[in-house]
Amino acid sequence: MNTLSFDSKRCERIRQQLDSYLSNELLVETASEVVRHLETCDACSRDLESRMRIREALQRAVANRSVPDSVRARVVRTLRDSQPRSFFRASAARWALGLAGIALILLSLFAAQWLSLRRGEQLVASILRLGVSDHVICAIKDHNYPEVANPPDQIRQKLGAQHAALLQVVQDRLPGFEVLEGHICTIPGSNRRYVHFITRGQGTILSVILTERNGVNLPKGKLLTSTDSTGIGLYQGHLSGTEIAGFESTQYFVFVVSDLSQNQVLQLAKGLAPALDDTLRTAAPSKPSSSLPGALFQINQEMGIYEGRSSFAPVGLNS
Amino acid sequence: MPHLGDLYRMASLLLQDRHEAEDLIQDTYLEAWKSFHRFELGTNCRAWLFKIMFHRLHHFRRRIVKASRLITIDGPDAQPEIAAEPLVLQQISDEDILNALEKVAVEFREIVLLADVQEFSYKEIAEMLKIPLGTVMSRLSRGRKLLRQELAEVARSYGIDPRGKQAGAAETA
Repeated sequence: MNTLSFDSKRCERIRQQLDSYLSNELLVETASEVVRHLETCDACSRDLESRMRIREALQRAVANRSVPDSVRARVVRTLRDSQPRSFFRASAARWALGLAGIALILLSLFAAQWLSLRRGEQLVASILRLGVSDHVICAIKDHNYPEVANPPDQIRQKLGAQHAALLQVVQDRLPGFEVLEGHICTIPGSNRRYVHFITRGQGTILSVILTERNGVNLPKGKLLTSTDSTGIGLYQGHLSGTEIAGFESTQYFVFVVSDLSQNQVLQLAKGLAPALDDTLRTAAPSKPSSSLPGALFQINQEMGIYEGRSSFAPVGLNS
Repeated sequence: MPHLGDLYRMASLLLQDRHEAEDLIQDTYLEAWKSFHRFELGTNCRAWLFKIMFHRLHHFRRRIVKASRLITIDGPDAQPEIAAEPLVLQQISDEDILNALEKVAVEFREIVLLADVQEFSYKEIAEMLKIPLGTVMSRLSRGRKLLRQELAEVARSYGIDPRGKQAGAAETA
């Protein structure tokens, strides 16, 4: 070997590369040059060997350094405990604000729902009260029906061509009831008209009333008492011993009113609803509806015509 | 707990205080937990954790540098490359080696540890410490040389000739 000269330019240049060679960071060409030199230079080979031994010794010494169990336990505890607490602390104000916001939204929704329900209840009560009043005034108080049923032709004549077909439906769909009278009623001071069938059966008088909606809709949802097999929603109420069940169709609210039990009236209304609705829909399409508050105002105004506005509520709902 | 041992050993060798090292490891894992959404799956998790640790360590750094015996002077080493003395390491304990390492200034020590013990690439080290690649290379070279010098001192203190002979044996020879 003739490469023991430490100050040779070549050795110095190679040793400058030894750190990168040791870290495997040299380009392939440079690494090859280093390897070729190391094969012929003992001094540089010993230098590399020394550096490698130091590195290995350092690796071993560090690897042998113990890691206290407390470190792992502390990290695990920190991750488990601190994370939720710090998250909560950092976000406490945001949480409070968020919850307050949610509470406010829920309260607003509840209030809106409650208001809507109250308005809906009032509207249903007012409309049903209209039907009861029509029945009580025309059939019971004024006794506008004969003891012996009027002939069907006469009734059809009174009803007019527009409503004549309804007679057959009422006759067919109210088993056990006889249609005594059918006519169009008008109310003094109001432009509302209603079709009134007065029937007798099960020892009492029962009215079927079709009053013009004038664009007013009955509210849907919770206020419905029941739905018949065809999906027609039925409403029910009672006032001073009189029971009423009703539904809406095209241009009319249809009521079945009597002093029978709640369930009897409801069942009769269910039996009548599909056929009557079909007949009315065939006769005339629906009209656009009014908003709920407007409808309530309109109905209440009309109810002012009737006397005796005593307490009245749809069945199953608090008034 | 992945890589906790590697991180703790590195932290304890840089901070030289067990409690501070534990604090640093705790902060590192907490930070990693919080920012785990930033970790790209498929990349080197160990390098990511070390990067976080060095980021946290940055807050300690000034104090460490002040406490260090040596002042950093980056740039090319003024001394020419000389052959490393072939140390007799068999007779030097792990503790001696780590004591020698502790005497190397922290900015060189950390790179020696990252390159020689953790075997990160220059590029990974440069990203971890946010320093140029050239600085990594020069600090590594300087750090290794300083460690060799410290180890030679240790050898001499045991009466060992760093060239591979017992001092007494050399005298009697």
